[in-house]
Amino acid sequence: MAATVEIANVHKAGGEATASPLARGSVRAALRLEFARNSTNGLTRLSESRQEAPLRVVRAFETSDGTALTHLHNVSGGLLGGDLLTLDVRAGACANVQLTTTGATRIYRSRCGAGTATQKNTITVGGDALLEYVPDATIPFAGARFAQRTEIRLEAGAGLFWWEILSPGREARDEVFKYESVDLKMDLLVVGKLVAAERLRLEPAKHGMSSTARMGAYSTWATFYICREGIDASLWAALETELRGLVCEIGERKEVFWGVSTLPAHGVAVRCLARNGRVVLPGLHAIWSAAKKKLYGREAVPPRKVN
Amino acid sequence: MEFATSRGDVDSELSRLRLLHLADSALPIGALAHSFGLETLVAHELLDVANLPEFLQGYLEEAGFLEAVFCGAGWRLSQSSEDFARDWILLNEKLSARKAARESRSGSGSLGRNFMNAVVSVEESDLIRAALQASKEAAGLIHHSVAFGLVGGVLKISDNSTVIAYLHQSIASLVSACQRLLPLGQHAATRILWQMKLVMIETAERSMNCTLDDAACFMPLLEWGTMEHPALTTRLFIS
Repeated sequence: MAATVEIANVHKAGGEATASPLARGSVRAALRLEFARNSTNGLTRLSESRQEAPLRVVRAFETSDGTALTHLHNVSGGLLGGDLLTLDVRAGACANVQLTTTGATRIYRSRCGAGTATQKNTITVGGDALLEYVPDATIPFAGARFAQRTEIRLEAGAGLFWWEILSPGREARDEVFKYESVDLKMDLLVVGKLVAAERLRLEPAKHGMSSTARMGAYSTWATFYICREGIDASLWAALETELRGLVCEIGERKEVFWGVSTLPAHGVAVRCLARNGRVVLPGLHAIWSAAKKKLYGREAVPPRKVN
Repeated sequence: MEFATSRGDVDSELSRLRLLHLADSALPIGALAHSFGLETLVAHELLDVANLPEFLQGYLEEAGFLEAVFCGAGWRLSQSSEDFARDWILLNEKLSARKAARESRSGSGSLGRNFMNAVVSVEESDLIRAALQASKEAAGLIHHSVAFGLVGGVLKISDNSTVIAYLHQSIASLVSACQRLLPLGQHAATRILWQMKLVMIETAERSMNCTLDDAACFMPLLEWGTMEHPALTTRLFIS
């Protein structure tokens, strides 16, 4: 991806469009999506989208339960050093939104002198809305420098299923923990109160990932937040117990570890450590399915993939 | 041995002795009842005597560093704050949010509250009482590292010494837990703790220049161990 000039396209009801030049040698792009629920038919639609290449969404698909499913594309294939991509998602009151990616997010090797590839995510889930963010893995290639900043805000009654999978690299090429740095920050606020925060700074060359203090013999890490504002604390305790029982049945014990715990309020956190990334997605789907039944009384609908 | 002669010397020696007392693993706050996930790692044969020093070094670089940053923030809160009660609650909430594992979070909260109550029973301090009252009213946790920092500041102990002492007592508690979980003798435990002191000093120094927002920690195996701890069939420890 060696874009020198990119054209920003804005898609809005009415077809308004603008163009803006971007800095030479790196990409600055934003994707802003707003979803609204139609009170007449109960369906959620993509009411507004602002898209700057290489970030794209084609359209929102209606799933069997009326959720608006949207596939996030990075048509350049991944992020390079110096890129700054911004994702801003707003799910309006009572909307049901599912976001996924069309494939793994690839973080390419940062060239000498290039900056860090950066992704900024700002997510707002309106009152009684539900956002399901179920992407593929993030794969930092050898020599990659990647920073991600995510802020998620849930309003009263809002729900969230949010997972992320961090691969050690291109495992099939024996490229494991060869990236330069991965720096992740995430804040999850429910009605203005911070309930979960992550700050990870991984520099495998400086701090060995195979230490028992870090990942030991495991290489893929995943995190999954399951939240719904307004649920009694006893239900979260029950869900923790139920999911702990479930994860005992997922995968060979020596191959994958699943941990489940209630957050300080409004949800549970799930963590996964796996020797092989292939076992992670099926496990996340199983947990998602069980938790959605418990919290919403309906099945999780896995996203149809474009690719 | 030289004895303090001036008022200033006495105050200085008194601060040092109080710090030794507060950082003593024998302080009755319940520290010996928690392994913070080590019990699970041992039960699953992930942690043994051979890799314990490396583990503790990594612990100091990650979780120790995070707690050191919050300990320092607690210390600074004792020096000045426009709205102490609000800032105290927010600081503890921020650390709660960083602890996704329930047992680790509540264990830290239990030690912090016990620590503050132990101090307030021997030292008159309006600030410590205000902190206890604010947390009670907000039904919030008091984390051990934050409480240790606040108390260090109240007792006029330097920020660096407070943070180092906190790190020392937390590692001493983990080594003590390992003595009950592993075939780790007294001499070997002493040797490991002795070897960690330089890392503690480096960790404390590094933490002084780090903001709360930048304090990173990545210990997924231990975090899993804490999350999985309730599922162990036999447990010696609360966490």
